[in-house]
Amino acid sequence: MVVNILTRAIMMSTPLLLGALAEVYAERTGMMVCAIEGIFLMGAWGGFVGTYLSGSMLLGIVLAVVLGGLMALLYAFVTVTLGQQQVVTGTALNILAVGICAYFQRVLFGVPTTPLQIDTLPKLAIPLLSKIPFVGEIFFHQNILTYLAYILIPVSIFVLYKTSLGLTLRSTGENPVAVDVAGINVNRVRFLTVLVAGGISGLAGAFYTVGYLGMFTSNVIGGRGWIAFAICFLGNWSPKGAVLGTLAFGLADAISVYFRIGTGAFPTELIIALPYILTILLTIFRSNFKVPAQLGIPYSKES
Amino acid sequence: MKTRANVLLYNVIAVIVGLAISMALLAFMHVNPFEVCGKALSKIITDKYNLGEILVKATPLIFTSLAFAFTYKANLFNIGAQGQFLMGSIVAVAISLALQGKVPTFVLLLIVLVASFAAGGAVGGLIGAAKAKFKANEFLVSMMSTYVISNFMDYLLRTSLQETKAEYMQTDAIASSAYLPNILPGTRVHLGFVLAVVVAILVSVLLNHTQLGYQIRAVGRNPNAANLGGINAGLIYIISFAIAGGLAGLAGLTEINGVQHMLLREFNASIGSYGIGIAILANGNPIGCIFASLLFGFLNIMGTTMGRLPGMNIPASIIELIEGIVMICVIASYALRYFVDNRNKKKQMRKAGV
Repeated sequence: MVVNILTRAIMMSTPLLLGALAEVYAERTGMMVCAIEGIFLMGAWGGFVGTYLSGSMLLGIVLAVVLGGLMALLYAFVTVTLGQQQVVTGTALNILAVGICAYFQRVLFGVPTTPLQIDTLPKLAIPLLSKIPFVGEIFFHQNILTYLAYILIPVSIFVLYKTSLGLTLRSTGENPVAVDVAGINVNRVRFLTVLVAGGISGLAGAFYTVGYLGMFTSNVIGGRGWIAFAICFLGNWSPKGAVLGTLAFGLADAISVYFRIGTGAFPTELIIALPYILTILLTIFRSNFKVPAQLGIPYSKES
Repeated sequence: MKTRANVLLYNVIAVIVGLAISMALLAFMHVNPFEVCGKALSKIITDKYNLGEILVKATPLIFTSLAFAFTYKANLFNIGAQGQFLMGSIVAVAISLALQGKVPTFVLLLIVLVASFAAGGAVGGLIGAAKAKFKANEFLVSMMSTYVISNFMDYLLRTSLQETKAEYMQTDAIASSAYLPNILPGTRVHLGFVLAVVVAILVSVLLNHTQLGYQIRAVGRNPNAANLGGINAGLIYIISFAIAGGLAGLAGLTEINGVQHMLLREFNASIGSYGIGIAILANGNPIGCIFASLLFGFLNIMGTTMGRLPGMNIPASIIELIEGIVMICVIASYALRYFVDNRNKKKQMRKAGV
């Protein structure tokens, strides 16, 4: 039971971690990706459609990354190039994503009598490591996307803090004027970062369909994009914080699956709502936030 | 006045462009967009009931869009209108079920009006307080509050508020004595629509012509300067969020007592996010919210009507597609207007020889 829940917690953490790391990178350059919920959804749908139509999970995942990237492209165009409000643009894109997925799902498949199914990514046992008692079962009996997430943790920490690229990204969110003076195009940095974040978030979305559900419904994401968004805040805009936050939410998500069916007087809904309550409490009672100075503020040379 | 007309012009063009793009997408269904739209339009226009449905759908949207627009003026993002609306709905249905038949309709509706405003307002006030006292990010807190409240509602729907048959997760239907009176026979249009319009006008007056409205706008521009000017910014956060929440709560009254007459799961699941879209469309103007809500109400009915056209097989979900595209076009039009205005200003400056 405990091993089961923890294994599931790691699994459910994977897409949240991918999304949260993408968000950390984007927000460090000053860009909140408020369209993340919609990007997750597009990724989930892309993964499903691609896999279903081509029969190849790899193509499905590629389509998810492409669709996530396209969504991010639109977001970046409106917010960076046109300099419009990020929250507002994100809301519009989130609605649009629901429309695109539901509409084209119907265009492609009509109204099927039985739910359409795809195979899901196989669990890969890592040789040797998976034999370690307890730990091996939990961490090394996962699918390929989870292993990818493991690799991304050290890579993202290294790039953000130890490379000149990371320095540029962080400076863009703190002091874009200085970055501009150094001859770097602020808006290009932001645009490209949002694009990459979109692709990774699309991958995160694909995890829900290709990774374990094997089917698509329009509420498959159900606010988890926003959870990734929140984890970025709660993790204080650092990859390490994102990892910690992700584990907490993944655990809550895993536990809530075990109590999914509401019966009896015990408010099982409380467990389902736990991640959201946790977010609210942490947002309220944590005071030492290091918000990137230019978060959410468009940059233009003239002003 | 000239600039206001200008804004409207850009908005109208943006909406038309958005609609045109959406119509083009209809071609993916292998149907003729013009034929489909023509048929759907004539179905709506020739049917009094369908015309009325536009007002019915617009009513709660006016409230949720006002809920966003109100704090938007204070540069705060209340994206929790959905939760505040659900809280209003819970209170509306609970009070209606408890008091129906015991007090006259008018008194009952008045109590529900006050209570649903208070319920939504309490949620909003708490969010505002979190912002004022703890500098919490109101965007995140209000977003998450919706999920918490909808789970709370699910819990109530299978326990204390569940129907007497205890079969589905829904409440009993309220008695017809607790209904909001119908104002257009042959349709479902109820008094709530009039209430929504009146409230929107009141909000407009409050924001533009009262001291509180001035303070809210001042805090929105620059909280530090407002503080120096003797305005308690924290208090303004709480008040404006409480009012915004109350406005969303009122949609609970109109939807429970006016339309659905019971509370069930996934109750009007997207009016909160539509409200944000509408408020943006209206550029945060309360009166504009009325018209933008009517547009969304119309699009909504258009989508359902298209979905019911025989032999066309168009999904009702086209509505989200259309609304999303229209919103993006409107946002882009703000950028275009800014760009054009700027260029004109520069031209004038050059002419003046500066």
